[in-house]
Order: sequence, then structure tokens, then C-alpha cells
Amino acid sequence: MPVRVVENSAPSHVSGPNSGCTSPPFCTLLSVGQAFSGTQNVSSLHKDEAWRVNVRIQGCDLDHGYLCGTMEALNVPMADTPVVTFWEGEIVDGKNYTFFTGKWEASREDDIRHWTKFPSFSPFLGQVEVDGGRSLDLSNCPYIFMRWKEQYFVNVGTDCGLTIAGFYYVCFSCTDGSISGFYYDPNSSPFQKLELKSTNEGRSGFSFSSYELQ
Amino acid sequence: MPTTTTSSALSQQRPTDLVSRLSSPEPEIKLKALREVKNQIIGNRTKKLSFLELGAIPAVASILSATLAEVDSRFAGGDDINIANKYTSNVLVQSAAALGSFACGFDAGVRAVLDAGAFSHLIRLLSVPDYKVADAGARSLRMIYQSKKAPKFEFLKEKNMEFLLSLLNSESENITGLGASIITHSCTTNEEQRALCDAGVLKKLVSLLEGSLSQRDASLESLAAVFKNNANVISEFVRLERGRVLSSIIELTKDRYPRTRLLACVCLIVLRNTSPQHLQDLVIKTGMVDLLLELLDDPGQVGDEASFVFSSLIAEKEDLQKLAFEANALDKLCNHFQKGQLHPKRLQGVLLALADLCSNLETCRSKFLSLQGLKLVADALTHDSVDVRTASCICLRSVTRSIKNLCAGYFMNEKLIIPLIQLLDDSSVSIQVAALGTISNILIDFTTRKSTFIQYGGVKHLAQLSKSMDSVVRLNALWALRNMVFLSDEKCKEGIFLELTASLLASLICDTEPSVQEQALALVRNLVDGCINSVEYVFSEDGIILDAVGRQLQRTSKAEIGIQGMYVLTNVASGNEFHKDAVMDRLLAQANDGTQSVIIKFLESHDSRLRTAAVWVVVNLTAPSCPGAVARFVKLQNTGVVSQVTSMVNDPCLDVKLRVKMVLNQSYDFR
Repeated sequence: MPVRVVENSAPSHVSGPNSGCTSPPFCTLLSVGQAFSGTQNVSSLHKDEAWRVNVRIQGCDLDHGYLCGTMEALNVPMADTPVVTFWEGEIVDGKNYTFFTGKWEASREDDIRHWTKFPSFSPFLGQVEVDGGRSLDLSNCPYIFMRWKEQYFVNVGTDCGLTIAGFYYVCFSCTDGSISGFYYDPNSSPFQKLELKSTNEGRSGFSFSSYELQ
Repeated sequence: MPTTTTSSALSQQRPTDLVSRLSSPEPEIKLKALREVKNQIIGNRTKKLSFLELGAIPAVASILSATLAEVDSRFAGGDDINIANKYTSNVLVQSAAALGSFACGFDAGVRAVLDAGAFSHLIRLLSVPDYKVADAGARSLRMIYQSKKAPKFEFLKEKNMEFLLSLLNSESENITGLGASIITHSCTTNEEQRALCDAGVLKKLVSLLEGSLSQRDASLESLAAVFKNNANVISEFVRLERGRVLSSIIELTKDRYPRTRLLACVCLIVLRNTSPQHLQDLVIKTGMVDLLLELLDDPGQVGDEASFVFSSLIAEKEDLQKLAFEANALDKLCNHFQKGQLHPKRLQGVLLALADLCSNLETCRSKFLSLQGLKLVADALTHDSVDVRTASCICLRSVTRSIKNLCAGYFMNEKLIIPLIQLLDDSSVSIQVAALGTISNILIDFTTRKSTFIQYGGVKHLAQLSKSMDSVVRLNALWALRNMVFLSDEKCKEGIFLELTASLLASLICDTEPSVQEQALALVRNLVDGCINSVEYVFSEDGIILDAVGRQLQRTSKAEIGIQGMYVLTNVASGNEFHKDAVMDRLLAQANDGTQSVIIKFLESHDSRLRTAAVWVVVNLTAPSCPGAVARFVKLQNTGVVSQVTSMVNDPCLDVKLRVKMVLNQSYDFR
């Protein structure tokens, strides 16, 4: 069953003036249409289990630190078909969002505990503890840090016995398009690891589609 | 027994009789007919049209002209019409009033008054010493200047400026009002705004703010015209009386008269839109939002205009859209909508205000959808009024920017799709373009429901419109198809390709309009992505599409076209050996004059997006898992491409730098 999320803590959405911090760079491997595949480890004390996962980026608005897409879990035990969810992402850019989540039942300690799981985060730890990373210059960092929050089930009902109550701490590598993530939900097993690689869907190279809203 | 004709008896008469009486040799009959015509047409559009068709306007104009000639001859004899001839004065007043009534809110009437040569006679009335006559002339001219059909007043001519100042300096309320109306109507360029300020008009208009209600309103409208897109004039204005004048306009937003409140708001919005550093105070911004939402409730013209003014306040300004959202603007606008049977003008305004409100913020779109707004707008797609149909498309275009709902397939339903496809047949190009804009967004749909659009003949329409003589229609039809092809399945792509054909796509890539070329290339880019077999589309009909892409890349100097073209080649180069070799040929082909190859041209571009796209092609061509990779690498080395890529290893754009590293890492396998 989904866990209710109480949104009563201070949000991470930065509303004050930007204190000179520059946002992460645009990366073609994280543009709309790009696909990723890999696994999510859902092991618990009782069993060792991983679900195959496919992700596709559907929308990207760097000015607003926004990313969204779909996530497809393939061999979910209690589902007859692959389960597809729609997620929305917050890009940590110091302008729209900081490393502090400020909602979804995640305390600053939870944030630090998860971000430090990514080796690429270590240079930022000191500053993040001070101001959540608001003043960091991320423009030359080859990693993009994000939070992905699933919003709804695309192809199954909410009575499917699965939860999307939590969210993912995500680190994307601009170098090769690989994605690491940790699912956080106080009511689920801790540190479920998501590992995805950029996929070229049977081609011998990379391909890129695009759309444009009017 | 015969009796004299009374006014009430005349009013029973048909317009034909009245018009014939306008030519009566009897002065009294003529004057009474004149008065009666004026009385009958006031506020009655049908009567105006009927008299216009009977030739009443030239008849009245000729009475005015003849009477003025008579006055002129009397003036020459030293006579005074005020004392000497009350009849003449009456005729002048009544004929001016009748012409003004014909022109009031009726463009055909304005045109007929101008065609009858009455304009110069009305101007002449302003200098007649009789106060009533001059006032009637001024009133009539104000009516004419409310229309876009009125002749443009040339402020830059010295005599004209003197004339305008004489109007603004007049003691008469209608004459000063006419001066202000002329400014509102004709002041459009920065040069004219500057000339008016230099002539002291700004201060004169400010002094009118202290005048009567009508002078105040006219002044507010004129000030907005003088401010529009002229930051210099605004900076001069805000310094007047150390900012007290600006404060007085802010104060007028609280005036007891709704029209004054609205016009004060218009003035402030124009000022802020031109010079955003002013009026940043949250209280003022919130005040304007609240005021305009309140004025929407006005049942008259103010209420009709309030939504348009609201749009101009929030358009492209996220902070104000947020404030409007917090002030429950969506609920209020949707409530108006739900009232039903709104006047088309009001409905259009509400739709456009909703469009601006939902243009940027997802919270607004969600709220709009939760208020069942989609159904209301869908109904308006089939409204009788062209303006309402266009506005409903524009509103939907904003709402359908929601990726969250596009992913859920929320917009791909028959209630929207069927009327939108029907609008593609509309005779109005503006409706076609508005409908295409909305369709473009809806077709991004990430579910498998794109077939709904095909099922109702949508693709056939789009293919047809991509051949339109109008380049804006071509552009938007291609835009919709490009979005439709994005991540679509093979069946959908096949259907689109069959409708478009390879030769049409090739000719659109080489269209005369650069924006059309860009969309055509973006469409092909999406077409050859996905399943590997789809690469074959560009090789059909002897590779006519790929040849067109190659030619356009050689020819273009526009980055956007280069980017889309290079991604077509990137996607083709992610195919098999044959595909990759075909791309090599196009990349290394030189223009006829022997200048540098396409790939070198783009690798050296100042636009980092273009450099990124160019390096991606090289990444794909040298993918080490392919048997022909070494040969292609050698060829790229021999043509200077590899050394160019190597020189970009410290490119200022991180994305380019990382792709260059990919190429270099791959090349280690070949060395």
C-alpha cells in the first residue's frame, strides 16, 4: 500500500536570490527520448531480489530544474505485466533546488546519508552541510544530482499492491550516461539501489529524437 | 385638414423617406430630417447600416459642406453665426452629431464618413467661434478616432503638432478629449512619442488627469500610447514631480469609476511591461491582479476589456502568473466561463486570459483541469465566432504543455481531436495555425493513442497542409508531424511516411523558408530513430532524402538547421555499415567551390550545440564494435577531421568535451 506523504517541512525549492551559483551543464545523454536500462535491488532481510528497470526521459526543462519520464519495472513478482510509472525529477542546481529535500519525510540527515553514497558527491559534502549546496558551482561537474519522485502508475491501478510513496536520490554521469540511485521510503527497505546504463536499443551507436512544445 | 409634421410623426417614417427629406429645399424639413436620422441611429447598428445603404452619409456630409461654405461667405461679410443665424448653427451641430453617430463603434460608418469627404469639414468646425458647433465637431471626430479606420495623424509635421497642442490647450472638454484621442489612435513610433514629449504633451496630459472624468480617462489612454515600448519617455515621466504623478496614477486604480480604474491599470501595465524595474512592489502587483479580477464582474464594456488587460499583465511573466493563481484567478475565470451565453468578445477574453495563466505553470494547468476546464474549452472549439474558436485553440495550446498529462494520454480524446481536426479545414489561416499549435502539443502523447489521430484522418490533413502555399501553415503542419513521430511506433511512422512521401520530405528540407527546413529535418531525425529498420526511410527513392539533407547542410548558415541536420546523420550513423558509409560520403563532401567539408564547418562552429551534434556523428562512425570502423577512422584522419576533434579536447562546453573524449577513447582501439 502507498505510504502517505506529509509535506509539512520546509521545501527545498529555492525562492530566494541565487547567490552566484551556476547550474549543472546540459548533457545530450539526459535529453528527451533517451533510454536507460538496468536493475533496482529490492533485497530485504528475507530475500535477495532485483527487478529489471527501463527508464525513458520524456521532458526536460533545465531553467526550472525539471526533468520527467517513465520507469518500467519488468519482473515484478505480483504483477502480470511490466509496471510503468511516471516520475518527475528535481535537478539540484542551487537555483531551483538544493541537496536538501525538505519534504517527502526526508530530513537533512537522510539527505546527507544518501548523497554520500555517491563517490562523486564527496567534494561537495562540506558546502552542502553549510547551505545545502546553494552556493556551489556545478557548471563544470560531470555529474548531475537529482531527486526522482514517482507520481502515478501509468498502466496499472493504485490497487496493484505496489508503492510509489518514496523517491530516488539520483546521480547521473554526463560522461557515459550511467545512472545510480537510491530509493528512499521510511517504510521500505533502506538503500535500494538503482543502476542504469544508457541504452542504444539495438543500434551500433547513439541516436537522438526531439520534440518541441508550442 | 393638413397639419405640420411633428417629430413623433417623422419618427414613424421609413429611412427612405427620411433620406429623401435630407435633400428637401425646405430648411426646416431638412433640419428636422437631420435630427431624426441622428436620433434613429444612436446605438442602433441595424439602423446605421440601413441608412448607410440608402446613401444617408454622403447626403449629411453634403449638407455640412454646403452650410460651412455659407458660413465662410458670411464670415467674409463680417457676420457672426451665433447671433445672425441660429438655423445654420443647428444644422452644423446636427449634421456633425449625425456623422459622429454613424462612426461610433461602426467601422463601415467611419469608412463612409471618410469617403464622403466629411473629415476635413469636421476639422473645420473646430475653428468655428460658436462653442456648440466646435464642440459637436470635436465629439464627432472623437468617435472617428476611436476606430482603427481613422486616418493616421502625422505628429512629425510642425503644423500638425501646433494643431494638436491647440486642441489640448482648449477650454472645451470635448476638444481636449479629441486631442487625447488623436494621440491614443496615432502615436505608434518611438520618434512620435519623443516628438510629443519634446512638444510638452506629456505635461499637458498629466494636467488633464486633474480634469473631468472624461478628460482623465482620455489622458490615461493617451499616456499608455506615449509610454508603449519607450523606456526613455517612461524614465522622464516617473521623475515628474518627484514621482508624484506616477503615484497619482496608482491612486486612480482605486477610483470610484470602473473605467478609470481599468485605464489606470492599463497605463501602469504598459509602463511596467516596457520598464520592468518600475512597479515591482508586491502590493501594487497584487493590487492590479485583484482589481482586474474584480473588474471581470462588470457587466459592460469594462468587464469585456478587463480580461484582455489581465492577459497583458501576466503574459510571459511567471511571477505575476503565480500571484494570479494565488488570487484564485483560475476559479474566477472558469466561473465566468460556466455562466454560459457570454458575449463572444468576453468569451474570447476569458479564454486568452486562461491561456496566459496556464502558459508556464504546471500548478495552473492542474487546477484548470481539476475545474473541468477542458470540457468548457472543447465546447468553445465549435463556437460560431472565429475569434472564440481561435482563442479556445490558444487556451488549449497552453494547457497541453503539461508533460505530466501528455504522459497519461489525457488530451488524446475524441472530444478534443475531432473538433481540432475540423478546424484544420477552416478558411481562416489564423484558426488553422492556432489549431495546428494545439495539435502539435497533443501529438507528443507518450501513450499508444496516437492512432486515434490517424483514425480521424488527422495525418492526411497534416500532410496536405504541409504543402500549403502559406509558409506558416507548412511550418506548423510539419511541427505537428515532427512531434507525432517522436518515439512513435513503426506502424505510425509508416502511415506518416506513406502520406508525406520521400519526394515531398526532400522538397520540404529544401523549402524556401528556413523555419520549414528546420522542422522538416527534425521530422526526419525522429523518423530514423527507434527501430533500426526505420533508418531505411532516408534511403528510399534512391536516397533522395539523404541527398537533400547533405545539400542543405552544405548550404546553410543557420545553426538550428545545422543541428537538426547533423542529428539526422547521427541517427543514420547509428545504423549498419551501409548506413554509416552513406553518412561518411555526405559529411566529407565538399561544396562545389572546394571549400571545407560539412563536418569541419560544424566542428569549428561557435555554437556549442552544433559542435556537440557534429562530434556525436563522429562517435557513431567510429564505434569500435563495427567492422568498418577502422577504415572510416583512417578516412576521417586523412581529411583532417580527427585532428580537429582532438584539438577540441578542452572545449569550453562540457558536453562537447566529454563526446570528444569518447571519440579519442574509441580511437585507442585503432592505433
